[in-house]
Amino acid sequence: MKPSYFEFQNAVKLLCGKNALERIPDELRHLESTRPLLLTDAVLLRLGVTAVVRDAMESEGCAPAAVFTDIPVDSSLSVVNRIAAVYRECKCDGIVAVGGGSVIDSAKGARRALSQEANDILSLSGVENLHCGRHVPFIVIPTTAGTGSECTGVAVIRNEEQGVKMEFLSPFVEPDVAVLDARMTLRLPARATASTGIDALCHAIEAATCLQSNPLSSAYCCAAIRLISANIVRAVQHGADAEARLNMAMAATMAGIAFSNSMVGAVHAVGHALGGVCHVPHAEAMGILLPHVLRYNLPVAAEDYARLLPDMAGWERAAATPADQRGEAMVQTVADLLERLHQLVGIPLRLSEVGVTEQELPRVAKTAVNDGAIIVNPRAMSEQQVYELLRRVF
Amino acid sequence: MKRRLQVMIIAAALRLVHAALVELQRLDPDVADELRCLPTGMSYAIHTGHNAPTLFVQWDGQRLRRIVHPETPAVCTLRLKALAISFRLFTGQMGLAHAYAQHAFTMSGEIANVMRLARLVNRAEAYLFPPFMSRRILPELPGLPVSPLRVYAAVLTGFLRFAY
Repeated sequence: MKPSYFEFQNAVKLLCGKNALERIPDELRHLESTRPLLLTDAVLLRLGVTAVVRDAMESEGCAPAAVFTDIPVDSSLSVVNRIAAVYRECKCDGIVAVGGGSVIDSAKGARRALSQEANDILSLSGVENLHCGRHVPFIVIPTTAGTGSECTGVAVIRNEEQGVKMEFLSPFVEPDVAVLDARMTLRLPARATASTGIDALCHAIEAATCLQSNPLSSAYCCAAIRLISANIVRAVQHGADAEARLNMAMAATMAGIAFSNSMVGAVHAVGHALGGVCHVPHAEAMGILLPHVLRYNLPVAAEDYARLLPDMAGWERAAATPADQRGEAMVQTVADLLERLHQLVGIPLRLSEVGVTEQELPRVAKTAVNDGAIIVNPRAMSEQQVYELLRRVF
Repeated sequence: MKRRLQVMIIAAALRLVHAALVELQRLDPDVADELRCLPTGMSYAIHTGHNAPTLFVQWDGQRLRRIVHPETPAVCTLRLKALAISFRLFTGQMGLAHAYAQHAFTMSGEIANVMRLARLVNRAEAYLFPPFMSRRILPELPGLPVSPLRVYAAVLTGFLRFAY
């Protein structure tokens, strides 16, 4: 259904494909940055992924002024504040972030603090509440195909003190440039390829069917779902397949653009709570929750899910399915894909597989209903309903 | 003229929502539970537009108090982007979830605090609006432990006692 009002923004310049990395220095020059701070994490540094970016930059005469690698899997407010402090100390004039969701969201948080000249990112929490501030040049190179964070106006950062993941929403956290280069994901392990790909699928499905969905974001969602369903197994089974890798990267970016303009839903609300309370990796939480939340939403969202069946399962399957069964068929296709990936690379399908205990479920439910994403879920979800869902998924 | 009328209606609606929440704390256990979860001193400001009414409420650990001249900024501030939007929101033409979905307001503070406020306002609206309107604006019609008429009677009595 067309909403009575919607907003859509995407101002990120995308560099996508062969030798995209080598174009970063030119982009930095356009953005008037000569002393960029390179952000990455220790694992990428060790695997040599960061070196690929550095080599590409240095080959065109651009070296980072400083490198910050102390970013954990779940970034936090204190890490963000530390990055901002390093940026100031080293007199940097731009940020280049190489990594997955944690690195990119940390970079977004630090950039927001720097542009608002704030010492503590927590003082800036809110929704669309800040002006643009000082421009800090910002280039993002994702090393997974999942979060879509390279093109979103949201940063999710963990508040260690409260044990919650906080969302910072503003169009001014969008990067200036995002770089999609297949070299960045070629070495991504099969299991991480699967779970981050499912994260992107989850973005696309939730963005297409939540209360904030709009025609422009839905177009991105459908394209993303088509690319994911056609490429995810190929990328998992043949990690060196550059075409499948780039297709997955594009899908993740498109899903990111979509959910940045539509929000997500209960899968993310509960997933954030699982991350905040039980430290479940975000992408794995998405895979575990996705089919169960879709089933919960079916009574009110069947038509919306039915519209996604051709993209998810192909036109022939959609045409062969009676109209009133297409919503259920879409959900089953998602569940089948997850089952296949579980068999292929062992992505978890139950909460008990990722170390969550039954005792933690009430706290997860309490945290989930205070997550901003739940408000736009197509079907209302109370704390009790979240708890019952968690019990089913346990 | 139209704008002045809208301002008056919004001002009345804000007072009504606050009064209803004060009474529901006593009448509806779900509202009482939700309020009890608020940290003492938690405050909300709702700005409804340029030169338009503002509601500032603070939870003092016992009661949700309306503060006419607040001395400090609210912990959580919702700023609706236009009076016309506020009018739709407070006259049952648009729910808070849709307002959020349509970027109708900006918010300073933690999103979790807005979620608590949203649940409280949704609950109050379920009592204050007739079901045909509530059904349109609320994600789901909740079961109500007391009659809306009883809530209206309590609110009316409260206004007569200058309790708010």
